[in-house]
Amino acid sequence: MKLLKSISLYVDRKSFIHDIDPITKLLYILFALLVPIILPSFTISFFCLGISILLLCAAKVIRKTVPVYSFVFLVLITVVIIQGLFKPENETVLFQIGPVAMYKEGLLYALTITLRVMNIVSSFLILVLTTKPSDLVETLVRKGMSPRIGYVIVSVFQIIPEMMSSMGTIMDAQRARGMETEGNLFVRVKAFVPLLGPVILGSLINTKERAMALEVRGFNSRAPKTYLYEEKKYTHSRLIQSAMLVLVVGAVAWRIFV
Amino acid sequence: MKKIIVEGLKYKYPLSDTLALDDLSFQVNEGEFIGIIGKNSAGKSTLCQALVGLVPHFYKGAYGGKVIVDGLEVKSHSIADIALKVGMVFQNPFTQVTGSKMTVYEEIAFGLENIGLPRSEIIERTDYVLDMLKIEQVKDHNPFDLSGGQMQRMAIASIIAMKPDILVLDEPTSQLDPAGSEEVFSAIQNLSKQGITVILAEHKMEKVAQYCDRVLLLNDGKMVDLDSPEKVFSQKDLEEHGVRAPVFTRVCKALDVKKAASDDHPVTLEDAEKALRGRML
Repeated sequence: MKLLKSISLYVDRKSFIHDIDPITKLLYILFALLVPIILPSFTISFFCLGISILLLCAAKVIRKTVPVYSFVFLVLITVVIIQGLFKPENETVLFQIGPVAMYKEGLLYALTITLRVMNIVSSFLILVLTTKPSDLVETLVRKGMSPRIGYVIVSVFQIIPEMMSSMGTIMDAQRARGMETEGNLFVRVKAFVPLLGPVILGSLINTKERAMALEVRGFNSRAPKTYLYEEKKYTHSRLIQSAMLVLVVGAVAWRIFV
Repeated sequence: MKKIIVEGLKYKYPLSDTLALDDLSFQVNEGEFIGIIGKNSAGKSTLCQALVGLVPHFYKGAYGGKVIVDGLEVKSHSIADIALKVGMVFQNPFTQVTGSKMTVYEEIAFGLENIGLPRSEIIERTDYVLDMLKIEQVKDHNPFDLSGGQMQRMAIASIIAMKPDILVLDEPTSQLDPAGSEEVFSAIQNLSKQGITVILAEHKMEKVAQYCDRVLLLNDGKMVDLDSPEKVFSQKDLEEHGVRAPVFTRVCKALDVKKAASDDHPVTLEDAEKALRGRML
């Protein structure tokens, strides 16, 4: 028996964030995106980011965000350096290291971008880390998304790891027949080539067979689909969604009138 | 009542020069248990797929003749419509896992959700087939974590749960051990006794001889014979068609022992024993 490595980031914990409707979480991403655009001040951006991070803490998944954030930081650091050095509007020198001068305008602009990206990433992480992909898809299918698209999304999470494990098997088989698979880069690349044929052809054949198996199980049936599980009852969906709507409307009003 | 009517069925896969099925005509009665035998690439799988509409709807290709299953003409109905009447289990259990469900239980319910059964019915049928195929103990496992044999049972369970009138099985026990395949065969026989028409392509001749009412022998896409197991396996030129009779039949042939009051050799252990004992006395 082999255990699959999951490619989903979902963390199974008990928290009130986990019990919130996936649709609400999707809307929250939109909310966290819109509000800082409507009200482009640092205070608001920091505030939104703060809320997202608090929610991640409440969901007990903050530790899982570290690798994601570190990757995002790697990208953002280049933004900071390039904007700080070369933004055309740069005038005020903030500090100087040897011959290199960092400018205030560029750094402020980089901060805006950084906050926006962090905002999107954080709100997205709330969805991804606290929602089972299958729950998200089932909710969307119930709301009217095509079950075919739903199938594609969910099956990717199982079939990709499955393909990877079959690749491992093929690699083992070739190693057993004496192929060098370890050593310097050249040897590794050379070992990779004979792997591609069986893996790609194999998955094409598997896909054909799987398509047939789906057909005979009524996948293309025109009957309205039913569900094994009762629709999950999520708490306060309506309340949270209306609160977010009110805040967005409020933000627009603030922008126009104040 | 005729459940399956095949008339002059000819089929050629796209990009192929030879006919995969060459002028087949036969009829199957309701509740019959038919075995399809023949060497590799004789057309067994193609014939199975022609009964559920995968041939020609899935593959396209050149198609002639007529297949009528339970009153539906295959050519003019979609696979989804035919699937309500005819269930099919494929050879490879691995590719029959949908990949969109996390547990065996959900996996079996997949087809039932698609055809729009009410929730209570889905649960009732899923529980029933889990028990029938003896995979209750793995119902919460991930489908991909099962052994080959368990996966094969799950594949069969998934189709049986859809309660088809006609069940088509393409080597359903290739990954099972002898005890496991015996269990699956007796489960299929039970269904057959309940009035379901069963079509089974299989290489295990002893099993075919034991369970099937009639045997259809294919060679190079042509139908060589469709008759009782005794008649088919007693043919002298069987090996020319790439098929070996059950071991009991071969022993009796060598000893020239025939079934009492008939011209055919016995095909099952019991019949062979009876015939041989009769001779010794």
